[in-house]
Amino acid sequence: MGAGREVAISLDGVRDKNVMQLKKLNTALFPVRYNDKYYADALASGEFTKLAYYSDICVGSIACRLEKKEGGAIRVYIMTLGVLAPYRGLGIGTRLLNHVLDLCSKQNILEIYLHVQTNNEDAINFYKKFGFEITETIKNYYTNIDPPDCFVLTKFTTPSQAKK
Amino acid sequence: MGASLPPKEANLFKLIVKSYETKQYKKGLKAADAILKKFPDHGETLSMKGLTLNCMDRKSEAYELVRLGLKNDVKSHVCWHVYGLLYRSDREYREAIKCYRNALRIDPDNIEILRDLSLLQAQMRDLTGFVETRQQLLTLKPNHRMNWIGFAVANHLCSNVAKAVEILEAYEGTLEDDYPPDNERCEHGEMLLYKSEIEDQPVAHGGIGIHRVFNSLLFRHIIHVREKYGLFKEELFLLQGIKSVVLISLLEECGFLERALEELHKKEPKIVDKLTSKEQEVSLLVKLGRLEEGANHYKALLAMNPDDYRYYEGLQKCFGLYSENGKYSSDEIDRLDALYKLLAEQFTWSSAVKRIPLDFLQGDKFCAAAANYIKPLLTKGVPSLFSDLSPLYDQPGKADILEQLILELEHSISGDGRYPDRTEKEPPSTLLWILFFLAQHYDRRGQYDIALSKIDEAVQHTPTVIDLYSVKSRILKHAGDLVAAASLADEARCMDLADRYINSESVNRMLQADQVALAEKIAVLFTKDGDQHNNLHDMQCMWYELASGESYFRQGDLGRALKKFLAVEKHYADITEDQFDFHSYCFRKMTLRAYVDMLRFQDRLHSHAYFHKAAAGAIRCYLKLYDSPLNSPAEVEDNTSKATQKKKMKKQRKAERAKKEAEEKNEGSSASGTSKSGRRHIKPVDPDPYGEKLLKTDDPLSEATKYLKLLQKNSPDSLETHLLSFEVNMRKQKILLAFQAVKQLLRLDADNPDSHCCLIKFFHKVSSMPTPVSDAEKLVWSVLEAERPSISQLQEKTLSEANKIFLGNHEDSLMHRAAVAEMLYTLDPTKKLEAVKIIEDSSNKVVPTNGALGSVMEWKLKDCIAVHKLLDNVLIDTDAALRWKVRCAEYFPYSIYFEGSRSSAVNNSLNNLDTETPLNGGANGPDIIQSGNAFTSNGKLEAFKNLKI
Repeated sequence: MGAGREVAISLDGVRDKNVMQLKKLNTALFPVRYNDKYYADALASGEFTKLAYYSDICVGSIACRLEKKEGGAIRVYIMTLGVLAPYRGLGIGTRLLNHVLDLCSKQNILEIYLHVQTNNEDAINFYKKFGFEITETIKNYYTNIDPPDCFVLTKFTTPSQAKK
Repeated sequence: MGASLPPKEANLFKLIVKSYETKQYKKGLKAADAILKKFPDHGETLSMKGLTLNCMDRKSEAYELVRLGLKNDVKSHVCWHVYGLLYRSDREYREAIKCYRNALRIDPDNIEILRDLSLLQAQMRDLTGFVETRQQLLTLKPNHRMNWIGFAVANHLCSNVAKAVEILEAYEGTLEDDYPPDNERCEHGEMLLYKSEIEDQPVAHGGIGIHRVFNSLLFRHIIHVREKYGLFKEELFLLQGIKSVVLISLLEECGFLERALEELHKKEPKIVDKLTSKEQEVSLLVKLGRLEEGANHYKALLAMNPDDYRYYEGLQKCFGLYSENGKYSSDEIDRLDALYKLLAEQFTWSSAVKRIPLDFLQGDKFCAAAANYIKPLLTKGVPSLFSDLSPLYDQPGKADILEQLILELEHSISGDGRYPDRTEKEPPSTLLWILFFLAQHYDRRGQYDIALSKIDEAVQHTPTVIDLYSVKSRILKHAGDLVAAASLADEARCMDLADRYINSESVNRMLQADQVALAEKIAVLFTKDGDQHNNLHDMQCMWYELASGESYFRQGDLGRALKKFLAVEKHYADITEDQFDFHSYCFRKMTLRAYVDMLRFQDRLHSHAYFHKAAAGAIRCYLKLYDSPLNSPAEVEDNTSKATQKKKMKKQRKAERAKKEAEEKNEGSSASGTSKSGRRHIKPVDPDPYGEKLLKTDDPLSEATKYLKLLQKNSPDSLETHLLSFEVNMRKQKILLAFQAVKQLLRLDADNPDSHCCLIKFFHKVSSMPTPVSDAEKLVWSVLEAERPSISQLQEKTLSEANKIFLGNHEDSLMHRAAVAEMLYTLDPTKKLEAVKIIEDSSNKVVPTNGALGSVMEWKLKDCIAVHKLLDNVLIDTDAALRWKVRCAEYFPYSIYFEGSRSSAVNNSLNNLDTETPLNGGANGPDIIQSGNAFTSNGKLEAFKNLKI
């Protein structure tokens, strides 16, 4: 696609000055309206939440929440990852996910997880490619979409791998 | 000074003067009081005490003391000087000049007073006086460089250029052996440059000879300086180069082209600014008619910068292919086309070489060139593409071609993602930019519904591009829905809170929608913290003040409207005022060329558009105030306003206290010598924040006249100036002045509907006046009698006939018909129905277009609103007004004014916005949470459906 034409893809952080961009994306991408806590978590996660720019247009995002486990270790929960429909298939989603995975390995974070609707095979396959595995099924996770169940996809890294 | 005092007191007196000069006011005050204890009536001491108090913000006391001092010692030049200084500090320059003159009568050779006087004369542009004073100063102190320069500049300003040059030369003569000391070298060089600049004018006096003399002088000087002070080689080089450039441009200006060119060639290696020298050379060649050489030079320049439009223009001139109005014969077009094709091969990276042909090409060739130009820019995503092309819309037919072209591209891209006849796939953003362009295209053509559907499509495609919301806001504004436009602009603003431009744009839209309070809140986001509203004023943010003034005016809040308009007027007064410091500063620093430029800029300051707007706004406020004066003051000031008054008083008191404290601090700091400027940073609290006092003026018309005079002086070619003059003078019963306004209007545009109205109104009014009784009235009468035959519109016609003829000449124009109708009614109120009929019989024609979508109507929203107001308020026919409104609501479905079916006035929710997007970008709206426990990422369902890995 776009043979011979390299369009630059770049990532930029989310700040209170441009958080509206993330809101616009979420409105367009997801049938869910996220509340203030979502955006507070996203902003708090720092480098783990990113906007993706296709030349100068904001077209996708990854938003994470950092969670403290018992014992003090940190794990990353990917709240949303999405790219605007016209800009899919250009490697932007991969770029966003890789960014977070790299950060995790750099910061020695061993667990990353997310929820995905059980029938969303494309998504499941996408994540499996990056080493995620289905670790749990939650019944009736969603309230008003069908099917209401979701998988929990998790990627564990061993400390030795992380410290390469 | 203080001569009449015994030695001890005389010393104290000197101390007062010194303390005043060093800003140690308290010390000075003490000394003054000490003298006054013994000599309570000593005039000079009283004056000095007053002057000191003036600097401590005790104005009334100051004036009292200074006047008392003068009374006690009217023969003292000190007292007069002080009185002058006092007036000067209050910017009463005319009074100050009088005082100085009195002081000089007593002590004619007082250097200080002469200098102060000369500054005021420069400020007031009393140029003859300025020359005299400067001459006197020079005669008294010929050993001061500044006095020579001052005298020369004064002569220059008086257009006595030859004299100015002579003076400078005479001064240079005195320098031959005694070169300026090291620390003045720079100033001296400045003077030489200045001299070279004014020398271009005395052509008649053998200017060239002077140049030669000057030239040799300058070089001798430079060499001297170098020997004496070891000036760096590079510096010398630079100095010579700059000098040559100036000299050459002077030669060029006075028409000595050959010599200029010669000079240029001779000095070329010395000129550091190579580009300027090349540009100058080519301009000389062209002026000398050496076009072939010129063309080659322009090509060389283009090789350096192939995007400079001036070079292309120059090249065209060299080939005899340039016309001011952009019209060319078909033969010329062919030759131009060939020329640019050749250039395009050479300068492949140039965008100008592709853009310029769009201006002259026609038909198919235009279409092909446009496609060639536009496609890569759409691929790249250039938001300004439409602004770049929008001048083409003024040429008949080109808009249609562009529309066809872009629609074709849209069709092709939304089909298989490629441009027609291309194999390469376009990036997904190309469609977005095509839609974005189309929206602006239809907006420009007045097809707002299509424009909106295109922009909505673009938003759907990529909802994160801020420009989309800005453009949508602009479309809605044009379509007449200012409220929706404001909320869209705010949505754009919310998407990047760090962008001042979209913040300002959003504020502007809010003001246009009369949401003043909200606008202020948003505007303040970019001002310094704390002192918010004042900050906009201090920053001289005039667009804001104008827009909010206009909004208040629309809302009928004349007080605040006036306040804003006068604030803008004040900025201009301040700018005029600001030049005062430069009269002495520029002489001292010898920045003479910049100084003369600055004075000339100040002379035409009030012709600036913002001033014009502000003055016109203020005059309108005063007219309205005159027509419907405030109700009796008791009614206005009811209980609520009393409460606010109390609050105000409290505020004021508080501020005064703060001021005092700050004053004390200031005193302390200035005593230690840190505050050089001595300026105070305390902001006085506005005693009249709502402009209530302004409204209480006894004579609004004379207030209006003040601003009118400025307009007449500085914007004599604006129709509006004379319309306002007509309105003001008719109300003041100044028949001849009103007549003058009418004549000016006819001179500027006799076909303008407003000019026509003024003409008819004027003679109608005159004919209804009682026969003249007094001599003055008779005189006025006879002037009009004599003048009327010279007005072609009225020759041997009655006013009704003239009105009819005007209708015949402009039958197809809505605004002309409306003017005729209004005049018909004015001349004969019984003809109201006929007048209404003239308006209602107007037809909104479809402008011929071969556009694929919709049709373009001729009438403008603004005009239709004006006509509605005419029907409603002047002709007072509510039925007709209602019919008009219904009719226009159909033409302008988005108009709030006409309550069009698609405007936000009718639909409570903004149907133009995405239904999912709450008003103002959802910044305030509560988010809806679907499931209480966790954040769902089920959106990935959507997000990855088409993901190809």
